[in-house]
Amino acid sequence: MKKRLYLELENCIGCRSCLAACTQCGGHEERNRNYVYDVNPLVNRQTMPLMCLHCENPACARSCPAQAIQIHETGAVLSALVEKCIGCQNCTIACPYGIPKFDQEQNLMYKCDLCIDRTKDGIPPMCASVCPSNTLQWLTDEEIENKKKQFNLDNGKWVTSMPYLEGETNVKVNLPGILQGITKLF
Amino acid sequence: MQAKAAVNQKTGNTLNNAFASHFAKSMFLSVTALAILSFIGTRMFTHVDLNLYGYMVGTIVFIGGFFYRFIAWGERPPTKLILKKGLKLLKRKSTPKTSVEHLATYNFIWNRGIYRWTQHVLIGWGCILSCFVTFPLVFGWMYFTMDDNGHYNIIAMGMKVMTVPADGIIANLSYNALNITAIMVIAGVCMALYRRLKNMQARAEQNFLYDFMPLYMLLLVSITGLALTFMNIFLHGAGQPAMSLIHQWSVIITLIYLPFGKLAHIPFRPMSVLARNYREHYAEQGMKECKVCGDQFVSSEQSKDVVDVLGVNDIEFKAKEGHHLAEMCLPCRRKYRIAQFSGFPTHEVKVKEANQNAKG
Repeated sequence: MKKRLYLELENCIGCRSCLAACTQCGGHEERNRNYVYDVNPLVNRQTMPLMCLHCENPACARSCPAQAIQIHETGAVLSALVEKCIGCQNCTIACPYGIPKFDQEQNLMYKCDLCIDRTKDGIPPMCASVCPSNTLQWLTDEEIENKKKQFNLDNGKWVTSMPYLEGETNVKVNLPGILQGITKLF
Repeated sequence: MQAKAAVNQKTGNTLNNAFASHFAKSMFLSVTALAILSFIGTRMFTHVDLNLYGYMVGTIVFIGGFFYRFIAWGERPPTKLILKKGLKLLKRKSTPKTSVEHLATYNFIWNRGIYRWTQHVLIGWGCILSCFVTFPLVFGWMYFTMDDNGHYNIIAMGMKVMTVPADGIIANLSYNALNITAIMVIAGVCMALYRRLKNMQARAEQNFLYDFMPLYMLLLVSITGLALTFMNIFLHGAGQPAMSLIHQWSVIITLIYLPFGKLAHIPFRPMSVLARNYREHYAEQGMKECKVCGDQFVSSEQSKDVVDVLGVNDIEFKAKEGHHLAEMCLPCRRKYRIAQFSGFPTHEVKVKEANQNAKG
């Protein structure tokens, strides 16, 4: 059963477990590849995670002169192939969400690969398996569909992903109802 | 037609018009160059080592595959751009230093780990040195003659370079050059195979055809090569003819497969020098300022190029404020996305982003 990473942004409590877990993924070499941001840092404590959304038409791969960014059969947009990445950093400029990180010393780009060593076997990525607040979840399309029904939807405010993103993505994002003043019916 | 002819006249590029395609031109030029060099090197084809002609045919097939792959790759918009601009910048002062660091000493791999560097140096230099020995012998650019008994003349490009005693150091190094490189390659390949069994990232992404096959082929080439030496020394040449055919087969298959497997990074990798020059040169020309915070984060030229390349791919990231998303620095671009989610303009709050690097 194909599962997706699903983000329910308003649940985030800013614990940064996802960052810590990311460092522990095999092959990530103890460096995290995701982000957690304060929404309004001087006023309140709301945070939101941001990670690679694994676009269906990834700008990073389109702009890569070396074809170093491969797309896995599960739809995950992989980190740069170490032998191909030439260090031009086109991908960091192209990504609409500013996700790829670049290591000057290793002359190598690295980005979220959706913990491909886990997700290719259906095991949730590190970030989703540790998230204590269900911000990051690992769900089937059916479960995401059920979530959609569970919320108060006829107001047209519920949206996953589009149009708040730049294109269709493999990771689905649920927009934060609390901040938009919409009640979620749990 | 007339318009096309007029364009041709205007550019006056008659050489390109003589060929049906880029591929045909490249093939013709390189095979001609090989033939001319062999003609000179073998003193008008009088010293061709026909024992090695299979390698010659294999090399020409390899060149065909190489151009097929390389030209298709070079036509991709981002690749074409970096190749074109990078080649113009080859005269930069930093080019020799960058080239040595990227292509000979592999400093960046050292920074990825000493194990991986050792493995790469053993395989990389093992293969490069083998090529320096093999191809001159195949095409007759280097051969040996003997005038006085016990002294070899080394002939390079048809000219006598030096005369060495047949039991001296240089002669012995020449006889054993391929044995030494074979041992380097075997050691390196074993290290690489071990890493592929142990490293989680490698295990997740590798597949047989792309990652393992080139390693097994290098192993086969090296072992059959060493077996030839073994048969000559210890078995008085028994089985040598059959083994030399197996060795030849393995080398030719490796060569032909090279542009399509992992080893394709050998001919493609020099582009990292072009990319470095491109980044350094245009960074000196002028930096792009982030549309939100004003930080200089990339050269104006690269920013423009990436926007163009995305445009060619029908990808247009326009922000509501009118600028392209690529015109924002990375932290601002991330905050801008948070702002799209929450409806609050996070990117406009003048606070540095919180530390995003967890300690593993």
